[in-house]
Amino acid sequence: MAPAQASAAKQAELLKQDGNTFYKKERIGAAIDAYTGAITLCPNVAVYWTNRALCYKKRNEWRKVEDDCRKALQLDSHSVKAHYMLGLALLDREEYAEGIKELEKSLELGRGPHSMSYMVEEIWQALAKAKYTEWERSSKEIASQLRKLEEACENALKIYRDLDGSTEDEYEEQLIQLREVFRKATVADVPTEVPDHLCCKITLDIFRDPVITPSGVTYERAMLLQHLQKVGKFDPVTREPLEPEQLVPNLAIKEAVQAFLDDHGWAYKMRP
Amino acid sequence: MTSSSGPSRKALSKIAANRLQKELAEWQVNPPAGFKHKPTDNLQRWVIEVLGAPGTLYANETYQLQVDFPEHYPMEAPQVIFLHPAPLHPHIYSNGHICLDILYDSWSPAMTVSSVCISILSMLSSSTVKQRPADNDRYVKNCRNGRSPKETRWWFHDDKV
Repeated sequence: MAPAQASAAKQAELLKQDGNTFYKKERIGAAIDAYTGAITLCPNVAVYWTNRALCYKKRNEWRKVEDDCRKALQLDSHSVKAHYMLGLALLDREEYAEGIKELEKSLELGRGPHSMSYMVEEIWQALAKAKYTEWERSSKEIASQLRKLEEACENALKIYRDLDGSTEDEYEEQLIQLREVFRKATVADVPTEVPDHLCCKITLDIFRDPVITPSGVTYERAMLLQHLQKVGKFDPVTREPLEPEQLVPNLAIKEAVQAFLDDHGWAYKMRP
Repeated sequence: MTSSSGPSRKALSKIAANRLQKELAEWQVNPPAGFKHKPTDNLQRWVIEVLGAPGTLYANETYQLQVDFPEHYPMEAPQVIFLHPAPLHPHIYSNGHICLDILYDSWSPAMTVSSVCISILSMLSSSTVKQRPADNDRYVKNCRNGRSPKETRWWFHDDKV
């Protein structure tokens, strides 16, 4: 690296540190100026862009968040933070499908081998909220479509009877069957309980990152690790000795959870 | 009995509150036989009525359990005591403290209020004699300062009863 470049990089790094200090003190304007300085000196460092995006996020300036995150992703397509904040920005301007896609990407990257566990929970919460909102919206829409369709069908049966295509008894029977069909269609989308086999025995909540122990019991990874650290090195259900190294991801359950969530968006609902 | 309110009265963590809400919902649909949860708006302290099982020494008697949840439940055991008057039982002290290993050293986060209740009822049901533990007076005196049973170093009487 040429001396001039080297000193620019060094200066940019110092500006970033200033920015971080300002951010911690909630001096967002000063932090933005510092990161902008760093970007001017070294526009190819993704972290400068994501740090500035974080400042804009704090100010709810979502357009600017989006621009900075897109720039960061050009430089580093694996940036968990850039995918996360881009997702939030897209959700803010009601680009639900795209926003959810970005959040999913960041969750996948955040859970990888270089896990950023502190962010994973935050990302999951945002994703679950977006998915739940999406379900609410589409569920209302489907319900209203079904109602209209049911009315139209009832009218059609009535007209058919009036044209003497069916007897009064046939008409009554068909009406009952029709209502049953529509009742079943509505029930499929009504929130109930998540089945026990998709819930962790410790959280009692639907799995996010399920791991299986040598005893064959599946738990939520973060909770089981906490148990091994705080309570004792044993399987909480069977009480067999257990070490963290023995845990294996339970991919089958993970897929089953995803399939369940895809069919039952209400299960994303988080308690306050 | 004014309760020794437990070692910490810190508010429930988010994980603890979430799990207790789920336990309560499950309890309402499917309560353990012989138990009645007295509804309050306090998620952190449950008061549960216990009905002695038919055909045992405690048949037709009712008692009250008070369950206090720590901040990091279920990583820590709840504090479970009988409210006055506590049943006469070789493992239950007159101040309501219960000598039962799963409430202390043998706690596991896979246990629930419901499973703890069932263990306590089974402990009552298998009793053959209505009497206090041999060290009752000494123990109760030691607890006068409002000490929680969770601070006791329990020496478990045996695992037969």
